[in-house]
Amino acid sequence: MSSATASWRTWLTSRSPRSRRQAWLGQAYLGWLSLLRNPVALLGLAIVLLLVLTAIFAPLLATHDPLAQDLAKRLSPPGTAGHWLGTDEFGRDLWSRMVYGARVTLYIVLLVVATAPVFGLAIGTAAGYFGGLVDVVLMRLTDIFLAFPRLILALAFVAALGPGIGNAVLAIALTAWPPYARVARAETLTVRNSDYIAAEQLQGFGAWRIVTGHVMPLCLSSVIVRITLDMAGIILVAAGLGFLGLGAQPPLPEWGLMISSGRKYLFDQWWVATVPGLAIFVVSLGFNLLGDGLRDVLDPRSASR
Amino acid sequence: MALIEIAGLEVVFAARGEAVRAVRGIDLSVEPRESFGLVGESGSGKSTVLRALCGLAPVSAGRALIDGRAPPALGRIGSRDRAFARRVQMVFQDPYGSLHPRHTVDRVLSEPLLVHGLGGRRERDRRVEAALQDVGLDASFRFRYPHQLSGGQRQRVAVARALMLEPSVLLLDEPTSALDASVQAEVLNLLSRLREERGLTFLMVSHDFAVIDHMCDRLAVMQQGRIVEVLDREALARGAVREDYTRALLAASQAHAPVQ
Amino acid sequence: MKPLLEVEDLKVAFDTPGGRVEAVRGVSFTLGRERLGIVGESGSGKTMTGRAILRLVQPPGRVTAKRLAFDGRDLLSLPERGMRALRGRRLAMVMQDPKYSLNPVMTVGRQLTEGLRRRDRLSAGAARRRAVAMLEAVQIRDPERVMGAYPHELSGGMGQRVMIAMMLIPEPDLLIADEPTSALDVTVEAEVLRILDGLVRERGLGLIFISHDLPLVARFCDRVLVMYAGRVVESLAASELEQARHPYTRGLLRCLPAVGGPRGPLPTLRRDPGWAE
Repeated sequence: MSSATASWRTWLTSRSPRSRRQAWLGQAYLGWLSLLRNPVALLGLAIVLLLVLTAIFAPLLATHDPLAQDLAKRLSPPGTAGHWLGTDEFGRDLWSRMVYGARVTLYIVLLVVATAPVFGLAIGTAAGYFGGLVDVVLMRLTDIFLAFPRLILALAFVAALGPGIGNAVLAIALTAWPPYARVARAETLTVRNSDYIAAEQLQGFGAWRIVTGHVMPLCLSSVIVRITLDMAGIILVAAGLGFLGLGAQPPLPEWGLMISSGRKYLFDQWWVATVPGLAIFVVSLGFNLLGDGLRDVLDPRSASR
Repeated sequence: MALIEIAGLEVVFAARGEAVRAVRGIDLSVEPRESFGLVGESGSGKSTVLRALCGLAPVSAGRALIDGRAPPALGRIGSRDRAFARRVQMVFQDPYGSLHPRHTVDRVLSEPLLVHGLGGRRERDRRVEAALQDVGLDASFRFRYPHQLSGGQRQRVAVARALMLEPSVLLLDEPTSALDASVQAEVLNLLSRLREERGLTFLMVSHDFAVIDHMCDRLAVMQQGRIVEVLDREALARGAVREDYTRALLAASQAHAPVQ
Repeated sequence: MKPLLEVEDLKVAFDTPGGRVEAVRGVSFTLGRERLGIVGESGSGKTMTGRAILRLVQPPGRVTAKRLAFDGRDLLSLPERGMRALRGRRLAMVMQDPKYSLNPVMTVGRQLTEGLRRRDRLSAGAARRRAVAMLEAVQIRDPERVMGAYPHELSGGMGQRVMIAMMLIPEPDLLIADEPTSALDVTVEAEVLRILDGLVRERGLGLIFISHDLPLVARFCDRVLVMYAGRVVESLAASELEQARHPYTRGLLRCLPAVGGPRGPLPTLRRDPGWAE
């Protein structure tokens, strides 16, 4: 086995790869190695993986149906037989609800990631590359969105579109893109006057090809770092919307919604709000740690010359 | 007819609200297959002339024509003038800044072919391999990233890229000034050989009199956006220099000349 | 006469994730009040040698030597405080690009007088007079204007001269100049070299001139060390450059084009792995 591993390693770290794929995998492997050297980032990655696995295997991990009520056992404290994290005001098992809540959180996270950064990247690179009037119009638009407090803007969207988890995601995505546009534009400005972009223009490459194939990949690492660092905020806004009753609707096991309903019992039955609160805390922390680590790995300035 | 025709060229940049006149009315013509050099100190406008010729700097007044055609406006919108790209290419000064940091050598060399629709996949592969060989790099370099190459190897890749579209004119902007002396010799030899083999026309910029003298048939000395003097190689060898500025430059460059 | 600087078996090594990299591998020389050139191509270890003498190598780099003594004092065992005092007063370094060595948000005048006022406890007026005198010594025509200017308002040549003035104000005994002219135009370069030359003659300071340009160093210095792969491969008097024996030195000299020289291909350097041994 070890000799097979060793030969893989030689193949991956070869100074003269023999195909596009080998070259690309080799770079990815080196990135992975430097991530491995960063224990804090690894902890972050472990937490994020734990979230994903929990979401996937929720039916196996849960001890109860997250929606099943048992009023006889309502507000049992942690350690109660059968309910090791206790129950909420309807006697629903908190552990099972927390486990299923991972699915909702992951769903929100994935939907936001699939929309806001893509939109922000497109706006930012276009503004940065074309400059002039395009830049002015796009960046003032970005400024307008940035000027609103994020939660308030999301609230306004949800109020207009109606409560519900889909609309909450849409509202978050609509408020989350401006920072990505800013990051992408700043990154674009540093590369657009470089000699390699000039060389590509001289080769007759069109603007579309240069922006998507040459500028965007260079902005991507900053954007990915920004996403992971933002993820904590996104989860918190989603939880906040849930807490205010504008996001996920009862009886869905969404962490923010769970805190909201536990608030009433906070002084006597602290666990009802604390369990989902801890879940939000840990997952947010995980994304933040991973983001910091990825910044070290992906930052092209730290790449060896 | 001259291949490169510059008449009354002026280039004016706006920098912080002030107009900077980088090139102040120059006239120049370069014949096909000629190798012409521009020598000058920093700020003399020599590189700006190259950039104006290929559309990377604005032509504020006068003409800068290659083969009778004005450069396309390369601006941000991108150029549809593919024919121009196949006639004129450029090699830049800084080998660390002129290759995309996230693209392999293979992509750098094959993308121009792809964009210009030259050959199928197999034909492109063949031409990339041939191009590498032409600039003295073996096939093991094909899938490397720029940071895995030395300065000299990068500059070879930059030369190979410039030649992928088989242009007739090569604009060389201080192609060896960032390289060690021994690597400079290799790259200069490479450029000379390629010019010979392909009948290229060179317009080369350098601050180094000896490099220009070695590479070019004629040269112009530039100072503060103007041409001070045009000399041919023979006149230079005889020391038939008219202007004091040229003489001062020549004398100063002696400090770097090999000890005889 | 006692040498100003003694270097014996100087080594600089970096422990990187990819393994140990030895930038300097056993360099020895002594320096009197003379001009010594250190020449080599990029990666030869010439810059690291200069920095190691001043103990300016950043971790993970490690400097070791059998002997590294300045004016009889061992530099390696000196505490950082003592080293800093020495660097401010008796040892100085001029770098390639003045842009990175001058503080961008401080006027030239303040940067020049700060040391004098703090270290030598001179009055504002006296410090200013010394600074202006030094700017005049490096041939700056309008020293009063330059004193009030910020670094970005100076041209490259001016900035480099200001840098040299700043390094010379405490009247050091040893100046290490790392490619002090390679960012400059040739006409300005001649000027800067003349200034350095005058200072060596008049004040009798020892100069280590680090450069990639062998002919330039040979014209300017008394003695030349040629470095390759972290070692000195040849050491010779500048006047005997033509008799250089090492193939690397000879190759470096031959591969340069010359005005009016022959047209054929330039001789290239065939590197022998044995040179690095």
